[in-house]
Amino acid sequence: MWLGSEVMFFAGLFAIYFTLRSTAPELWALQSSKLNITFSGINTGILVASSFTCQMGVFAAERLQPKRTSWKLKEWGMAEWFFVTYVMGAIFVIGQIFEYATLVSEGVGLSSDAYGSAFYLTTGFHGLHVTGGLIAFLLVIGRGYAAKNFGHKEATSAIVVSYYWHFVDVVWVGLFAVIYLLK
Amino acid sequence: MNATARLFWVLVVFNLVLAAVYSVWHWIDTGTIEWVGTIGLALVAILSALIGFYVGRVLKSQPAVLAEDRLDANIDDGDAEQGFFSPWSWWPVLLAGGAALVFLGLAVGIWIAIIGGVLGLVFLVGWTYEYHRGYFGH
Repeated sequence: MWLGSEVMFFAGLFAIYFTLRSTAPELWALQSSKLNITFSGINTGILVASSFTCQMGVFAAERLQPKRTSWKLKEWGMAEWFFVTYVMGAIFVIGQIFEYATLVSEGVGLSSDAYGSAFYLTTGFHGLHVTGGLIAFLLVIGRGYAAKNFGHKEATSAIVVSYYWHFVDVVWVGLFAVIYLLK
Repeated sequence: MNATARLFWVLVVFNLVLAAVYSVWHWIDTGTIEWVGTIGLALVAILSALIGFYVGRVLKSQPAVLAEDRLDANIDDGDAEQGFFSPWSWWPVLLAGGAALVFLGLAVGIWIAIIGGVLGLVFLVGWTYEYHRGYFGH
């Protein structure tokens, strides 16, 4: 239900973006040429990869294994995989902040023009969602350490956070395609 | 489960037929194809097929009989598992108070939002770990 409402929310943001874009194509051509596609492409790759490490954490949680038994990847628990996912998600957010700072110095601000508003609204709300996901990962990792008997209750919370994370990841792939690749 | 899967396959056929009717009707009327509606209806058919296929696979791996599939079922047989909700927890009330302070701060003065954010974080942790510590630790 929550993810369904999130889909509608991001559909609204996509509609804002496309509406503004259709009214000011020259502005879009000018401002979108300032985007660093290589940088954001690498950032996108990191976020997509984090979905895979997240899923490895879910597999561990489904084995009801909260912590590693050795450093071998096959014996990692939920916590280790989620820590890796957390770091990758945090790198994505840091990269996005860096990108924002660069764009602001090049004259693309939240209130500078329609392009800036559409760009920061869509990517900014996505960034807030990633940040929320990072907090959720910390809470779930904490549950893994707090539980003396890691059971299906803990595994379920890990699985639902992974659903959310995959969703945010897919939304970013859509946003990246629309904002950075679609000319 | 079987009835559910079949319902979605009925929707696939229905929407494919509608897409064809819509497209042909528009072509007869104006001589052009209206792509937005045609593609939209075809996509609804594809998405219905996706769900129908998924439900069919679930049925195959785990032949479940839902209350909806049985003629002798009562309404309360279909009560879904709603998850676990604490009947008396104060944490959601406190968390909502923290969130209210954040939004009040956005409107009035940002320092209130900072206080609300810190309180909200404390209450969020309190809510998340309510059944994982103390008397309920497991």
